[in-house]
Amino acid sequence: MNELGNTALLIAFSVSLYGVAAPLVGARTGREELVQSGENAVVANFFLLSLATAALLYALLTRDFRNTYVASYTSRDLSFWYTVSALWAGQAGSLLFWTWLLSAFATISVRINREWLSDLMPYAMAVMMATSAFFLFLLSFASSPFELLPFRPADGQGLNPLLQNPGMFFHPPTLYLGYVGFTVPYAFAIAALVTGHLDERWIRATRRWTLFAWFFLTLGILFGMQWAYVELGWGGFWAWDPVENASLMPWLTGTAFLHSVMIQEKRGMLKVWNMVLIILTFALSIFGTFLTRSGVLSSVHSFALSSLGPLFFAFIAIVLLFSFWLLVMRLDALKSPHELDSLISRESSFLFNNLILVGAAFSVFLGTIFPLVSEAVRGVKISVGPPYFNQVNVPIGLALLLIMGLCPLLAWRKASLENLAKNFLGPGLFALAGGAVLALLGLRQPVALLAFTLGLFVTATILQEFHRGAKVRARQGRESYPLAVVRLILRNRRRYGGYIVHLGVILLFMGMAGSAFSVEKEAILKPGQTMQIKQYTLRYEGLSQYPTRSALVNAARLTVYNSGKPVGMLLPQKNVHRGHEGQPMTEVAIRSTWKEDLYVILAGFSEDGAASFKVIINPLMMWMWVGGVLLAIGTIIAFWPDRREGRRPGARYVVE
Amino acid sequence: MEGVARYIPMKRTWMIAGIVAITFLFGGEIAHALTVGEVAGEFICQCGCGLTLANCAHGECGPRDQMTTAIASMIAAGKTKPEIIAAFVAQYGERVLAAPTKRGFNLVAWVTPFATLIAGAGLLVLLAWSWAVRRRVVQPTAEGVWDLLSPEERKRLEEELRRLQD
Repeated sequence: MNELGNTALLIAFSVSLYGVAAPLVGARTGREELVQSGENAVVANFFLLSLATAALLYALLTRDFRNTYVASYTSRDLSFWYTVSALWAGQAGSLLFWTWLLSAFATISVRINREWLSDLMPYAMAVMMATSAFFLFLLSFASSPFELLPFRPADGQGLNPLLQNPGMFFHPPTLYLGYVGFTVPYAFAIAALVTGHLDERWIRATRRWTLFAWFFLTLGILFGMQWAYVELGWGGFWAWDPVENASLMPWLTGTAFLHSVMIQEKRGMLKVWNMVLIILTFALSIFGTFLTRSGVLSSVHSFALSSLGPLFFAFIAIVLLFSFWLLVMRLDALKSPHELDSLISRESSFLFNNLILVGAAFSVFLGTIFPLVSEAVRGVKISVGPPYFNQVNVPIGLALLLIMGLCPLLAWRKASLENLAKNFLGPGLFALAGGAVLALLGLRQPVALLAFTLGLFVTATILQEFHRGAKVRARQGRESYPLAVVRLILRNRRRYGGYIVHLGVILLFMGMAGSAFSVEKEAILKPGQTMQIKQYTLRYEGLSQYPTRSALVNAARLTVYNSGKPVGMLLPQKNVHRGHEGQPMTEVAIRSTWKEDLYVILAGFSEDGAASFKVIINPLMMWMWVGGVLLAIGTIIAFWPDRREGRRPGARYVVE
Repeated sequence: MEGVARYIPMKRTWMIAGIVAITFLFGGEIAHALTVGEVAGEFICQCGCGLTLANCAHGECGPRDQMTTAIASMIAAGKTKPEIIAAFVAQYGERVLAAPTKRGFNLVAWVTPFATLIAGAGLLVLLAWSWAVRRRVVQPTAEGVWDLLSPEERKRLEEELRRLQD
């Protein structure tokens, strides 16, 4: 099987090189058969990569420990599903998974768009195949998942205990779907630049791909936050780790792109800017993989280090130089016939939204690489951690929240005073009143108070939009109000799906603002002793020790009382995994309510039965996860195909 | 009270009201004793995890225990937060700080994001303004038509446009 996998990769590498050359030559010389041959190469690439992936899965599941990758990431006692997840646990496997996803996306996009985008297709194929060729080069010559050991070990080293969490099934695959997904819009953007066919077709063709990539990148980030929260055992969800930042940066530029393409679709503006954004988003997606894999910056993801850094760096440099060179060549053709009519308009508010999102991406980028910059310029090693990122990004985040409220309700072209009053007076007053009430209730932390007030403002603007639309429908169609709301959403999926996404983002922001009020307490308890934190009393009942298939579990039993009433038992654990005895793993116990999370960490224990605990109360954490769900629902609604979409005339002409 | 209020000019009344509101809203912070957790958030754990000392969640971590013990003893000895920070920087170097200092070259990290945003916003405003001016010069009638419309007509037009956009 290893030989089969290796051979499949080598052939796939050759096929992908052919997949770059054939469509390019075919398009240049007008030989249609070569373009079609390139399309076949894309499909063949997918089948070969599927074969290689299946071969690696087979090696993992059959515990073929002669395979270096299998021996490094699995062991005999590893459960079936964690063995499957080992496919993306290590570098070579995750690169293979990345490339396999890309081959699948390339195949689908070729099948969907070959007819109506036949002029762009050869070049888009070439870009996707070139990206595939780069990754296949790494897999074939630098980091093969089919490398063999000179002997067959009796057992493997097993999966890092940190990775043995349900998050392993969701976080890496969704993140990769996001990273890889951005390759498709990038490929079509480059195709548009090469051909000079710079109309809105490439954007229409890739709108769903962009949304798809953004959706999965968002899910990947959220799953990562949840994983960090329950697994790393420090009570937080985001540590501003370089690898976390690496996923946030393309998310920020991708979000900016999702918004700014609307301007190009509606008004034919921002063509250059949209190109810049998709180039940056793609480059940052590769940068994320580079940061994860290079080890150039120290990270909690340090299980993923390797020497592939220079190769990734070279690839990113080529991508940026080539893309921006093309862009400069086409600047004249990208000039928009339209300009901003007014500073108070939806177009300009989208521009400000873009400015803030890209500014946030830049600040995260600067903070992430600043240790390297400092060392290069001053020769002094420094660290850039949460205090920096929080201080810099909180004001930017608040500005983003404000613009999120303003943006969708401003009129296109030029908002009149009447428009402003009609849309913002009610929500503004509501937010101010809400903010005052919160202050009276004792919320005094300025940033949190501002965040909640802005959150109320944005929520009110969105709900007002739903209400107005539903009211008109209910009146005209004689529908009941709830039915009118549902039909309103279904008939304007993109718009109201977007609003639901915004509601989800507000909940996320509120959850983050709530973390400003975290309370923390540490205590060493003997069985029978209690500790108090706010209204909670925790009584330590004792420690249970028992072995599982792969670890020795040490679980503390804590009875929890809320204002004197027993509400349940929490079992924080400290587990020692076989083969990782020097690295005991914390399994936190969490009691979640809408109001707050009671988060208990078993910090340590001693022979006499005493145990030390770190207990944290994290307000509004559930809001974040619910916000994530809402965000997913909204994106699915916006993504869902609308039969009437094809029949609609270009909306752009309506506002011209 | 009415008599007194009459002698305070409106501007000053607003100013006083503002100060009172700010004091009411944000003046509730009560001075408290320094805790290890509070100081630990200022440092990066030297075990290589990349997390702050307060967040290092390694099961067993020598550097974390050593550093937190040192903080606890400095607090017990009556040292202030800046003094503890200075002592740690002297011992480990600047890399122990969780955020760059706001001095010298490090200011680049602090200032650049905001400077870029402000410059970007300025550029946008300038562009929008210059385009708007150019439109007025080149297409006076386009603006004129809008101005000629009655509020009702403008409202109707905007609603129509919005409906069509949807």
